[in-house]
Amino acid sequence: MDERDLINRVRAGDGIAERALYDAHVDRVYRLAYRLAGDDALAQDFTQETFIRAFAKLDTFRGDSALSTWLHAITTTVVLNGLRKVKRFHQREADLEAADGVTGGPREAEPDLKARLRQAIDALPHGYRTVFVMHDIEGFTHEEIGVALGVETGTSKAQLSRARAKLREALADFAGEWVS
Amino acid sequence: MMHDNDETKFDQWLQDAAKTYNAPPRPTPRDEMWARIEAERARRAARPVIALRPWLRWGLAAAAVLVLGIGIGRWMAHQEPGVPGGPVASADSSRDVVYQVAATQYLSRTETFLTGFRADLRAGRVDTRFTGQARDLLSTTRLLLDSPAADDPRMRALLEELELVLAQISQLEAGRDKRNADLITQDMDQHSVLPKLRSAIPAGPVPLRTQGAI
Repeated sequence: MDERDLINRVRAGDGIAERALYDAHVDRVYRLAYRLAGDDALAQDFTQETFIRAFAKLDTFRGDSALSTWLHAITTTVVLNGLRKVKRFHQREADLEAADGVTGGPREAEPDLKARLRQAIDALPHGYRTVFVMHDIEGFTHEEIGVALGVETGTSKAQLSRARAKLREALADFAGEWVS
Repeated sequence: MMHDNDETKFDQWLQDAAKTYNAPPRPTPRDEMWARIEAERARRAARPVIALRPWLRWGLAAAAVLVLGIGIGRWMAHQEPGVPGGPVASADSSRDVVYQVAATQYLSRTETFLTGFRADLRAGRVDTRFTGQARDLLSTTRLLLDSPAADDPRMRALLEELELVLAQISQLEAGRDKRNADLITQDMDQHSVLPKLRSAIPAGPVPLRTQGAI
């Protein structure tokens, strides 16, 4: 079925069309949410919220961009706002634990490359990490990223370049891995 | 110093290596999430959301403009004459008043709720009544966060703080979460949530509280 027809049917309240629209896009939305959140429960929450908002706001979708682009814009908004809240929540838990004198010991260093890469990506500034995950891992184009994040294409390119530069720097002692 | 060739190699290597970063460990739980989406949409649809209906929004805005106009008129009547360029009820101000009314009512309800929650907890009671009310208030909090009421940075900060507290309370399990409930109240005390909330509610009877609520 043509996507426009599908959208019209969803707007008309067709439940089967809603499920079809969901099935067509849920994998990529969930994967993006998971990549950015790194947690299954959060990724499911964010995916759920994305589709609830999308169905509620579908009347405002004008069709200027692909539906997937519009959905990914909602996804990134939901995920990034949600992660900010989670970060604050964890900060509070840490505050409370500190106040209670219940603090965990220092995490052991994880020397292997996979763990170091993960740490390095996690340590990227928020904007760099989002663009890096979307472009290099999930395969979004800079144009799609620009629309999703509400930034210029050039900004997306610049952030990706800086993200890679920071990762090169952070992983410099593993140089043999890619030079060989 | 890395050469261009090395950079290209690095970028290629990075793209491959990063595929493992936060990779979902299982296929998309489609049916599970769909069931939750349907349940949540049904729950939200069942809630009275009259404030969001366009005709009512316009009605409220018109009423607010009227109230504001009367208020300004009475206020002006008590001022010295001859002040040029006095206040004018603009579309923006009427919109703000509508949100101020909503925000003030919400803040009053939340204050009552949190005060009751803390008092009952001290008396050793944590029941399901609280989780249900917290969920309702949480929904209102989120609506307000998405509204012009949250344009004010102080109001936004307060709403975000209340959102966290209410989210935590809504997760409590009746009678079995004393420890978590205690942590929530400790958190509230540590961040002076109730004093901040009270100071955001203007003094006076409810209709007058709407002025300067935010």
